[in-house]
Amino acid sequence: MPFSLDEDQLDCLQELINVAMGQASDQLARYLDTFVFLKVPNIELVNAQEFSKSLTSNNQSTAVVSQGFFGYEGIRGEALLVYQHKDSNHIADLLGYDPDELSDEEQLIDISSILTTTFLNVFASQIENQLSYNAPKLLTSEQDSMSEYLDHLSFSWDIALKVNITYQVTDYSFNCDMILLIPESAIIDIKTVIDRILEAL
Amino acid sequence: MVSSVLICDDSNMARKQVIRSLPEELSTDVTLATNGLEALEVLKNKHIDIMFLDLTMPELDGVGVLQNLKENNSTSCAIFVISADVQPEMQSKVLELGARAFMRKPVQVDVLVKNLQEHGFL
Repeated sequence: MPFSLDEDQLDCLQELINVAMGQASDQLARYLDTFVFLKVPNIELVNAQEFSKSLTSNNQSTAVVSQGFFGYEGIRGEALLVYQHKDSNHIADLLGYDPDELSDEEQLIDISSILTTTFLNVFASQIENQLSYNAPKLLTSEQDSMSEYLDHLSFSWDIALKVNITYQVTDYSFNCDMILLIPESAIIDIKTVIDRILEAL
Repeated sequence: MVSSVLICDDSNMARKQVIRSLPEELSTDVTLATNGLEALEVLKNKHIDIMFLDLTMPELDGVGVLQNLKENNSTSCAIFVISADVQPEMQSKVLELGARAFMRKPVQVDVLVKNLQEHGFL
């Protein structure tokens, strides 16, 4: 399959993600003055319809902050920060804000922006790229609006490489998932970059 | 003197990065493990002088390996942690558990050599 990664390519991508995830977690830990527990990230190919369903199918309502990114050599995608609503209510405590200082939406966008840009900047530096970002958007959890949003990202996609990273803040029993969607057109470009890194080893 | 080296990391690329960074005198006897359980098995069956240990791994992670070795007081090898989890709390934790040093991923040749020198292996 043109979009699937072989074992070495997958291993290389996973290691690049590990390094970026580690530094994003460090930023988050410093920002919240707590410890962030890291898990091995999960990488898989998903199709648009199934992904949209899976994001909205669990019974717990979610808050999602979405931010597009794009760089040189066709590298592009969308980063989704997925929070359970019970966790998003703790955000003010975590950030040390007064309840009236920022709205819930602004707090979620704040923390999401730190995670997304730290992670992607470290990822980009490892592949000798430089990324630009769209403004983050807070999405509602209703299935129809979420599906519609995912159908109208800045790129068209039927298949995407999905990278799922869980950030678990142990002190607060809080966690959020960072989901990167890399559309099929960019998968080919990512594979080219990965092959270049592997050849240099 | 030839030192025996164990590299424990679930990533083939990360293992290669460590191998590539090793000075020649430490490159002749290198054993590889892909998770913590494999590393403990190697340590049971072979004398190892230096272990380079990742933290975030399936089966048994690097902290689990350090805890196991500390509880059982079962190895004399020098352990150098090489990890992407660079949180200060994690760095302190692995040093408390007996690691000689913490190095951040991706490992750099000069950092690795400096740490080996500081601990008398070069």
